[in-house]
Amino acid sequence: MKAYRIQIKFYLESGQDIAPDTWFRVFNTWIPVTTDEVLVDVADYSHVHNGPVTLLVGHEANYSIDRTDGKTGLLYDRKQPSNGSFPNRLKAAFVSALKACRRLETDPILAGSASFRLDEVLFVLNDRLLAPNSVETLEAVRPDLEQVLAKLYNGAGFDIEHDSDPGRRFTLRIRSGYRDSVALSLRHFDAIS
Amino acid sequence: MSESTTWKEVLADRIPDEMGREVDIFATQIQLRKQDKIDDTVFAETRLRRGVYGQRYDNGKRFDGSNTQLLEFPSGDLVKGPDTVWDAPGMQRIKIPFGGLTADQLDVLAELAEEYSDCILHITTRQDVQLHYVHIDDTPDLMYRLASVGITTREACGNTVRNVTACPLSGVCRTETFDVTPYARACSKFLLGHSDAQDFGRKFKIAFSGCEHEACGLANMHDIGAIAVTRSVNGTEKRGFRFYVGGGLGAVPHQAKLFEDFLPEEELLPVSQAISRVFARLGEKRNRARARLKFLIAKLGLEEFKRLVTEERKVMPDDPEWTAYLSDLHAYDEKPLKIAQPLNGAVVAGGFEEWTRTNVYRQRQDGYAAVTVTLPLGDLTSDQTRALARLSRRFVNDTIRATVEQNIVLRWVSEADLPELYNALAEIGLNEPGAGTIADVTACPGTDTCKLGIASSRGLAAELRTHLAEKGVEMDAAVEGLRIKISGCFNSCGQHHVADLGFYGISRKVSGYTVPHFQVVLGGQWTGNAASFGLAMGAVPSKRIPDVVARISQSYIEGREEDESFQDYIRRIGKVQVKRMLDDLTEVPPYEIDSSFYMDWGDSRVFTTGDMGKGECAGEVVPLVQFELSSCEREAFEAQVQLDNGQYENAYNQAYSAMVHAAKALVKSQFLDVPEDPDTIVSEFRTRIVDTGLLHDNPVTRGKFANYLFHAHRRDVDTYSEDLAHRFIEETQLFIEAAYACYGRMNVVSN
Repeated sequence: MKAYRIQIKFYLESGQDIAPDTWFRVFNTWIPVTTDEVLVDVADYSHVHNGPVTLLVGHEANYSIDRTDGKTGLLYDRKQPSNGSFPNRLKAAFVSALKACRRLETDPILAGSASFRLDEVLFVLNDRLLAPNSVETLEAVRPDLEQVLAKLYNGAGFDIEHDSDPGRRFTLRIRSGYRDSVALSLRHFDAIS
Repeated sequence: MSESTTWKEVLADRIPDEMGREVDIFATQIQLRKQDKIDDTVFAETRLRRGVYGQRYDNGKRFDGSNTQLLEFPSGDLVKGPDTVWDAPGMQRIKIPFGGLTADQLDVLAELAEEYSDCILHITTRQDVQLHYVHIDDTPDLMYRLASVGITTREACGNTVRNVTACPLSGVCRTETFDVTPYARACSKFLLGHSDAQDFGRKFKIAFSGCEHEACGLANMHDIGAIAVTRSVNGTEKRGFRFYVGGGLGAVPHQAKLFEDFLPEEELLPVSQAISRVFARLGEKRNRARARLKFLIAKLGLEEFKRLVTEERKVMPDDPEWTAYLSDLHAYDEKPLKIAQPLNGAVVAGGFEEWTRTNVYRQRQDGYAAVTVTLPLGDLTSDQTRALARLSRRFVNDTIRATVEQNIVLRWVSEADLPELYNALAEIGLNEPGAGTIADVTACPGTDTCKLGIASSRGLAAELRTHLAEKGVEMDAAVEGLRIKISGCFNSCGQHHVADLGFYGISRKVSGYTVPHFQVVLGGQWTGNAASFGLAMGAVPSKRIPDVVARISQSYIEGREEDESFQDYIRRIGKVQVKRMLDDLTEVPPYEIDSSFYMDWGDSRVFTTGDMGKGECAGEVVPLVQFELSSCEREAFEAQVQLDNGQYENAYNQAYSAMVHAAKALVKSQFLDVPEDPDTIVSEFRTRIVDTGLLHDNPVTRGKFANYLFHAHRRDVDTYSEDLAHRFIEETQLFIEAAYACYGRMNVVSN
């Protein structure tokens, strides 16, 4: 699988009522202090119905407080090719998304008002050429994804649901009974929380 | 799985050859730029002419709320063009002639916004679509995919003929003289890439209107504005246009001048071409602030300009394209999907009546309506766009128009379907009423993404929309129909000059702080094709603008005389009284008392203008010859690639094409109508450039560069070997260098 445009969304457990201008302020503070990737701008789209509410634009990846599916969460959107095999790229994307969630959970401006749940994940391959929304793509992705999810959920069970609408990008919704925190899940990936 | 393919390959049978070739060329130019083989300025204008535009932070800066910091992109020093960092995601403008869209095109636009942008499509004040935060490496694929549904981004920016606009109700309007759609389409197609429209000093905008008195196509504020009129000639009704020239907004707005009271339809394209020639030849090229057509006309005077255009028209070689489309004006006529049926006692949802009142226009065709889909700030998501495509297929088919008020119109809705359409729009959050009312505020991108923006036009627009929409049905009828338009700076992309209440961004220093303000411009006229411009009334802090709107509106409601228009009211009470009315609103409290005045709408950072940059609207002035010689270099590069791939004959032919192209570029500097055939080009090159000594090979080279071309033109080649192709590409490079040197000398002489 050559696709590298990977999107992962984790949903807010608490903090759905945080105002868009607060997210805007938080994301702006990330730009100057982030050194491991280039973050460049923040856009406010809170006026559109079910869209990217507040978008932090980066060179390698975008981060947004997203409502495109009607539920608010943090969407990680990898845009640039990254090194390594597809399993490595998958793992890196999950870790980046989790780190961003953790960063929001511990952000001083938000003061603990935002937290994320991991029992539901939206997974998108944002590339209709390299990853058409088909059963073949699902078969190609599933083994690698299951390995990453096994790490995320530390062995707990999960279900993968494929949205097969041909007009859409390759989209999976993952559900699990897993209730542990973002911080703990990051440790499963041996990442610093 | 399609892992080994590309979009170009996948869509090969759907991409028109010429459009595909254009994208190939742009992809090559990107590669050349990365290899530092193309001049920065040339590449900047090249990408702008493909609609690829730098965004605000592109000059490598970002204000974080405390300091302006440099952003360290991986590209390091490599730039897209002057001051534009290569890797920085930018804006892609997509031309939509007369705003006409199909369902398939909406689907593709939705996909592109998802995969290359941020899931948001932005409709501009000139019926374009813009995607933001697009990486330049993604633009060729994006363009191939657009080409597969018949859309080009060619000449969307830069010093070119921009998107040709037209009234979104053309063809269904109750008051139009005739449908201007086929004329707008023909004009757009004719001038796209036309050789006479490649050497402008500035952009060139054209608009079509079906009627005189409505806002329609806003003919009075365009370089060319054409309003449909008919005239009886020997008992036969003849179509033509009331033809205006030299209008424009910008920092110094100019009303268009009447060029011809009745320009017959068959003269529309040739006269537009003649105007292009005169503008290219005599328009200002150095002083960007005075390079639009309006300044040339002001300098020459209308009569002299008309004389020059008329003379030019006489000497232009005939072109069958001028009138070919006239025999088939109805080829693209829209056909309704559903039978016309009245809305008879159907059960309707709450909000339907209000929405119908403001967003539904009864077409001149009985039983049909044009529905305006109100878009907040001109934005819609990919999901909404796809849903609109589905609704279009369900209710109207491909009869969709983007509007200059940043909305979308679905035409040919059977009236009986209105309740169902309303419900379907409600499901996707697009059932907002208030189209064309004071709450339907339009704004340019401003500080959100534009390098020239001073204050947040979108932030203010969002605030005013929310505030005014809440008032909704309670709003006094006198003010409901007023227009609010906002620009982030004086350049008027938000068209503030022609709004009842217009605002443009400025800043003021207060106690050492820079404070966002807006200049208040009142009394512009949107109707009558943007009939008159408003008057500047003074600067007011950004945060007080909602109070300005409330106070001016209330004053009009209470003080107007019977049926007095807003424009007449403002003129009657005068600037002094208006200024007095706004006086207390100009005050800025100290930072310590209210710091909110020191932040802009929609931005929680302390205001600064430190991240402004050099604007890209003006493009880069690159002389046509230099542009064409740059294109020859690209062809020579492609020849080299073919040589590397073992395609020797192709490599030779490509290099030969580059050489002829370079010769043509030099000839064209003296002879605008040089034909395309190589025999004539070579002959003219010999007569005009070589025999006159202009190529000026020095005594050492003794004419050898010219001989490279003459020899190649004889085509006495037996076998296209690797050696031959290799040598010939070398000669081509030398010939192009000689052409550059020749052009440099010609330029010095002519200067």
